[in-house]
Amino acid sequence: MSTELIFSPSDFVAVFNQTIEYAYPGVVIEGELANFKVSRGRWVYFDIKDETASLAFFGNVYQLPGPLQDGLKLRVSGRPRLHPRFGFSIVFETIQPVGEGSIKKAADLLRAKLAAEGLFAPERKRPLPPLPRRIGLITAAGSAASADFLKILGQRWGGVEVMLADVLVQGQEAALQIVAALDYFEQLSPLPDVLVLTRGGGSADDLAVFNDERVVRAVAGSRMPTLVAIGHETDESLAELAADQRGATPSNAAQIVVPDRRQLLTQLATQAQALKNLTTSLYSNELSGLQDRQKNIGQKVQALLNNEKQRLLANRRLSVLFDPLAALRRGYAIITKGQSYISSVKQISAGDQLNLRLADGTLKATAGER
Amino acid sequence: MAKGKITKNYQQLADELAAIMDWFESDKVNLDQAVIKYQQAMELLIEMEAYLKTAENKIRKIATRFGK
Repeated sequence: MSTELIFSPSDFVAVFNQTIEYAYPGVVIEGELANFKVSRGRWVYFDIKDETASLAFFGNVYQLPGPLQDGLKLRVSGRPRLHPRFGFSIVFETIQPVGEGSIKKAADLLRAKLAAEGLFAPERKRPLPPLPRRIGLITAAGSAASADFLKILGQRWGGVEVMLADVLVQGQEAALQIVAALDYFEQLSPLPDVLVLTRGGGSADDLAVFNDERVVRAVAGSRMPTLVAIGHETDESLAELAADQRGATPSNAAQIVVPDRRQLLTQLATQAQALKNLTTSLYSNELSGLQDRQKNIGQKVQALLNNEKQRLLANRRLSVLFDPLAALRRGYAIITKGQSYISSVKQISAGDQLNLRLADGTLKATAGER
Repeated sequence: MAKGKITKNYQQLADELAAIMDWFESDKVNLDQAVIKYQQAMELLIEMEAYLKTAENKIRKIATRFGK
């Protein structure tokens, strides 16, 4: 008896998908991009091919790492499935350019696109806070990059709260994790004062995530000032271009993000000296002002005394002139009749008894005829 | 200021010191106030120095797993 299975198309699609899902829940295909197409700004269709085969891929535009172009070598992860109407395809989840040439080409395409949008414009750059109190650090915890950053940070400054978001910094999952970490910090209240995204050097493949459009846009869209430091000597990654500031290495990022406490201690000593000088100079000026005022008052008092002396002298001269005794000494006499001073002959009649006061005494006299 | 205890962050201390330095450079300066301001500045400088010499960073790993 035959055990041949007979399916309806729908059943076969269901059984096929169930089987493939069990056998290959996820696959990673690496090959050359062909027939890349975006439909209605949302759906993405392309093939990945090699010399003898070609596979169809389908997915959402938001899952793209950036603009793509036929001919690029890509590593695409996804889920194989048989569509009831459109046949076999792989629903892609992540796309990563591979090989130095493809990575550079993809980055160049993205760079041109984002530059046209103004994401790298110098006028967008914000200054980093001079003394951050809370730093959001996005890196792989336990990596040399993380250790270097924290070591230099501790040497240079203290009192900072570092909130470390542990993420993958390379590989297919890295972009989504970095974007999720950036989103996490965006939700905090209060926000960290600055975000630092860093990792050490690596090959072009290792660093490809820092040219991922989602990462670059998340860095550019951060409400917090951003510092991106990727340890490499070649071209800047697009995430660094989009950041408010770029650091050369994780250690350099720490040097940029906080001041050096030793320099500030020197500055404090200088300020203390300046303050002492200012206060001393204030005292000196005040003292000098007091001395000037004292001298001024002394001069004024002296001038008053001199004036008074001159006036006194003049008065003395006048008093000499008006002194009646002085006139008596010159031969004049004061004549009185009884209690009255005589200043006219009309006051005297012949025979009146008069008193004549001279310089050295008084005479009695009798008035004669006029 | 409580001796040996850091009560403000460095930025606050630095801002207060800058305000005093500005006052000394202004035309509001008088000797009575200067004595008080000088003492305040010296206390700030001591506190800032203590901060720079003793403050340590606090590292906190976020518990959230970002897609891991």
